[in-house]
Amino acid sequence: MTNIQNKNSIDKAVIPKSKGKNNSQSGSQLNHSTDWFTRMVKFSPKFLLLLLIVPVFGGLIGVLLPAFGWAPALSQYDFGFQGFNALWQTSGFGQMIGLSIATGLVSTLLAFVVTLMILAAFFNSVWLDRIQQILSPILVIPHAAAAIAVGFLIAPSGMISRLFSPWLSGWELAPNGIFPHDPYGISIILGLTLKELPFLLLMALGALAQPELGKKLRSQHKVALNLGYCPMTAFFKVILPSLYPLLRLPLLAVLAYASSSVEMPLILGPNTPPTLAVAIMQWFNDVDLNLRIKASAGALLQLALTGGLLALWLLGEKLVKCLFCESLTNGRREYGGAYWQTITGVVTVSVIVFIGLALLGLVFWSIAGFWRFPTALPDSFTLLHWQSAAMQVGEPLFNTLFIGIITTLIAISLTLLCLESEQIKGKLLSRFTSLIIYIPLLVPSIAFLFGLVWIQQLLAVQVSFISYINVIIAHLLFVLPYVFLSLASSYRQLDSRFAIVAASLGTKPCKVFLKVKLPQLFAPILIAAALGLAISFGQYLPTLLAGGGRITTITTEAITLANGASRRTSAVYALMQMLLPLIGFILAWVLPKFIYKTAHR
Amino acid sequence: MQSSLHIKNLQLFRHNELLLSLNEQVNGGEILTLMGPSGSGKSSLLNWLTGSLPSGFHADGEVWLNDSNITFTPAHQRHVGVLYQDALLFSHLSVAGNIAFAMPPGNKKQRLEKIDAALEQVGLKGLADRHPDNLSGGQQARVALLRVLLSEPKAILLDEPFSKLDSQLREDTRQLVFEQIRYHKLPAIMVTHDHSDAEAAVGKIITLSKLA
Amino acid sequence: MHSIKSLQHNTRRNFYCVAFCVLISLLYVLIMNSAVAADVHDNEQSVQWKNIETHGVKQPVYFHAWGGDAQINAYIQWVAQQVKAKYQINLQHVKLSDTSEAVSRVLAEKSANNHSQGNVDLVWINGANFSTMAQHSLLLKGWADQLPNFKFTDPDNNPAVTLDFGVPTLGMESPWGQASMTFYYDRMATLTPPQNLNELVTWTQQNPGRFSYPKPPDFLGLSFLKYALVVLHQESLIASNGLQSKDQHVHSYQDALYAPATPENITEVLQPLWIFLDELHPNLWRKGKHFMQTGLEMRRLVDDTELSLAFTFSGPEIPAAVKRFDLPQSIRSYAMADGSLSNTHFVGIPYNASHAESAQLVANFLLSPEAQAYKQQAEVWGDKTVLIASRLTAPQKNLFKTQTSHPSALSFNSITRTLSEPHPSWVEDITLGWQQRYGVAP
Repeated sequence: MTNIQNKNSIDKAVIPKSKGKNNSQSGSQLNHSTDWFTRMVKFSPKFLLLLLIVPVFGGLIGVLLPAFGWAPALSQYDFGFQGFNALWQTSGFGQMIGLSIATGLVSTLLAFVVTLMILAAFFNSVWLDRIQQILSPILVIPHAAAAIAVGFLIAPSGMISRLFSPWLSGWELAPNGIFPHDPYGISIILGLTLKELPFLLLMALGALAQPELGKKLRSQHKVALNLGYCPMTAFFKVILPSLYPLLRLPLLAVLAYASSSVEMPLILGPNTPPTLAVAIMQWFNDVDLNLRIKASAGALLQLALTGGLLALWLLGEKLVKCLFCESLTNGRREYGGAYWQTITGVVTVSVIVFIGLALLGLVFWSIAGFWRFPTALPDSFTLLHWQSAAMQVGEPLFNTLFIGIITTLIAISLTLLCLESEQIKGKLLSRFTSLIIYIPLLVPSIAFLFGLVWIQQLLAVQVSFISYINVIIAHLLFVLPYVFLSLASSYRQLDSRFAIVAASLGTKPCKVFLKVKLPQLFAPILIAAALGLAISFGQYLPTLLAGGGRITTITTEAITLANGASRRTSAVYALMQMLLPLIGFILAWVLPKFIYKTAHR
Repeated sequence: MQSSLHIKNLQLFRHNELLLSLNEQVNGGEILTLMGPSGSGKSSLLNWLTGSLPSGFHADGEVWLNDSNITFTPAHQRHVGVLYQDALLFSHLSVAGNIAFAMPPGNKKQRLEKIDAALEQVGLKGLADRHPDNLSGGQQARVALLRVLLSEPKAILLDEPFSKLDSQLREDTRQLVFEQIRYHKLPAIMVTHDHSDAEAAVGKIITLSKLA
Repeated sequence: MHSIKSLQHNTRRNFYCVAFCVLISLLYVLIMNSAVAADVHDNEQSVQWKNIETHGVKQPVYFHAWGGDAQINAYIQWVAQQVKAKYQINLQHVKLSDTSEAVSRVLAEKSANNHSQGNVDLVWINGANFSTMAQHSLLLKGWADQLPNFKFTDPDNNPAVTLDFGVPTLGMESPWGQASMTFYYDRMATLTPPQNLNELVTWTQQNPGRFSYPKPPDFLGLSFLKYALVVLHQESLIASNGLQSKDQHVHSYQDALYAPATPENITEVLQPLWIFLDELHPNLWRKGKHFMQTGLEMRRLVDDTELSLAFTFSGPEIPAAVKRFDLPQSIRSYAMADGSLSNTHFVGIPYNASHAESAQLVANFLLSPEAQAYKQQAEVWGDKTVLIASRLTAPQKNLFKTQTSHPSALSFNSITRTLSEPHPSWVEDITLGWQQRYGVAP
């Protein structure tokens, strides 16, 4: 109660003053106190670095040595290229590489292009908000669940085929199709594109939601319209050049992920041969331990491949800039705008219908009794599949929540401390630190996770909960960047004068942090927490590897079952995978309203 | 034929509440000045004229530009240029790029020559390749003016265009803008708080009052 | 042998000492020392088993078992509840997508010198995985035949429980269930399923794209290849030796499949298989250019009506799947006339298992008439028991009484001829040869 009064009095004291930001000044003012809290805060960025660098780079060394033949566990001490030689000799090696490159590059490019088309066609229109509202729930769907849903849709007996059979196609039995698992990776590309599109779109809208930049870009867009530019051209010539730098990191993360992930290719991809990442995973898990040398070499190759793709993207960026720099100012105002507007409309509607059908199919399968092709609706409905899943879901659910909550708590605390250290020191985190935070998003996880497991085995103390600790550390690598990304801008925009006022009233730094800053950041913290939970819930490879297969989560269960016997059971698990993060986001959305209201009454 | 901007029987509403009514004709080279407190609908009027009236507002009436009805023409096809209080130069383009962006497409060399000539005319000779963020406020305002003029608009709207400039600069810039409007014989509508702006425009002044 | 064992006991005990508080552990050591002393002096089986029962209770057991089937997973859950009630054992089912994951884990532990605190306590294996583990001495020896319930399997007259794909088990694994290859088809898609391997070829020509098999090294895919190999091998013998003095010659050739493969005979023995597959593949699902990853995926494709004919190694899963709506009601099971490949599956304990005694308690429970009967029920799992009726008491036999069978179930006695599994060494050559020929789509 006193707390709330305190906060209100601060509000009153500060709001009438003029608003101007003065971060650096506030920093120096808070600087002279060096209590334990301040010391802890100041140390936190170093701890963060340690937490990220040691596992990632340790893991990389853990694959580097075996790749060149040094593997004490296998009694191999001779440095050499036998791993790479074995790799070149793998049958279908070229196809593997080609598949990895093509699926990674094409899906990223496609997701990016569609994102741009949607932004360009609906910029400054109410439709953009509506599309965002429809697509943003997709963001919380884990990759595995999305892959399962897409698989249900495009299979020869899938929803699309059922809608046209037998009245149009004449099919009484499912036709011979190539989806999913087509050798060209089209299914993978489709799955990845649908999953990454909402991510990129929301990243772009997030950038445009920054108050100053957003306002500036919107007025510039208006200026271009007044100068006679058609809306889409105006977007590409005026908004994109300023927006792109903010999209670069998300794009590179998407590209890195798409070229090296295992979930989508495992569920939707071919197996003669699979993508490089999937092959590496299979070699690592093979009975023949000598394959680990080959797998390590493969992991290094994956690293080079992803690195190459990132470099190629950056190069392409330069090239596009060179090529189109001239045309920015050539005065052309119209490039078939109406035509493109229509295409974009069609693409957007198809994407939404596609996703809608996929989700509908998933829901149907989870409650379907007999459902023979080609009927579009199940013959009967039953809750049997949910009931039998409910009986077995206890432990995976507990693990999922336990690991997710602990990981997110650590990630949020650490992020908040690091951001607070920025304010105390009066300067942003060093470029190096900011880069390292995003390293786990840019380095293919398959390249360092196996090395990490090897190191964990070397260090392993035999404690029963060690696998939980390992899994939490592995999850942190992927949760931290997103939590940081989500919290940083709100924290940095926090009006520093609140802290100054509180400090001038004699409040200790830790109290300022806990009682002044955190309550103001309640909503963004909850959103970041929901995001962190969603990321942790969706992790497959880190859970599988760091947990030594002992820790089952909803996601590992879903993937184990994905290519299994029962569409119905897979559907139940995929839906559970979607519901968990969704509940998190709904809570993050509802709680602040509720708590805000009570605080003001 | 003399150019003209004709607002016919406009009634502008915000949430079904009448903000303003207007029936005016502005001929080429004339400047109509609108004054009034904030909330009186000045900016909404300009938005309506450019075709970007935000949701929550609606308008009855027509706007005619040179004898064609542009009431329902999309913003980018109206040929109505706007000068805002911020220069709103594109920071990813140079000064020359900003102007070239506005010009109709054509021979590259001729366009460049035209830009150089225009820059020289407003005292910005040699600044073509500079980054707009490195210019002073007055210089930015002049580049913005050139950008609008070289886009060959059929009418021009001024949205408190000089309010961010200090007094000496303000007079100079104002004189330049008005000269150019008269020289190009463009119908212009200016929204301002400043009485000296209104006097300098030497045109009809309408003072709006807050109705609600 | 015995001293090594007690040494292991000691290190394990030291570990517990750390875990529990000092007072309790002191007491514990005292009790255990006297127990070990008794063990050394008294060799009787029952006493030994009592010992295991004392040590084994109240501990976790990590059971690494393939986890791709909800019904089997549910059965293991049931087992977990039972051993929890009986021995306070916390049975944790570590669900594998491939059993080789557990094998490589133990191998990795061995190479990392982890000889007593392994992660795997109990593993569900047979065939190639067993022979790999046995070859690398990764399994605890001589325990399975000491289990009290082992006697119900009538081991003296029942080689199926002491031989795993022709390799003697030497007490390294305890039998769990029995399986035979069963085919099933969709009656709404075909009324005349093939009755032997030759008919299969003509059937696929008439029904292109409606049959396939999982990609080796999947267990079920390999089983299909082994079935084809065994049948083809017999045919080629009869064809080439038909005129010669049959008895001796045929026998020795046939033995080729039941002895380790040699570099000399590989090409010759496997040749008929490749010729057969070359003919079969163009008419398979996706023209034989893509294969499903697992047997379960194959079952799902039958439900999708993409396939009209498939096979399984656990016949009872078919009616169970129909009851759970995972297969259409038009499914019927049958056995091929030219023979059904049959084998036994087992549970093994790694040599370095952290909780070997508890794992033995679990293995013994898995062999109990109660657990075996429950497992054989079609709606539970439907896996055939390894117990022999003649060794059971009347009330125990009653446990196995079955209800009327489901229309999609394999009718009783329909397996007329069983084919034994070839020696495990052939698996590697089949896999390798297959990979080279068909592993990469052209």
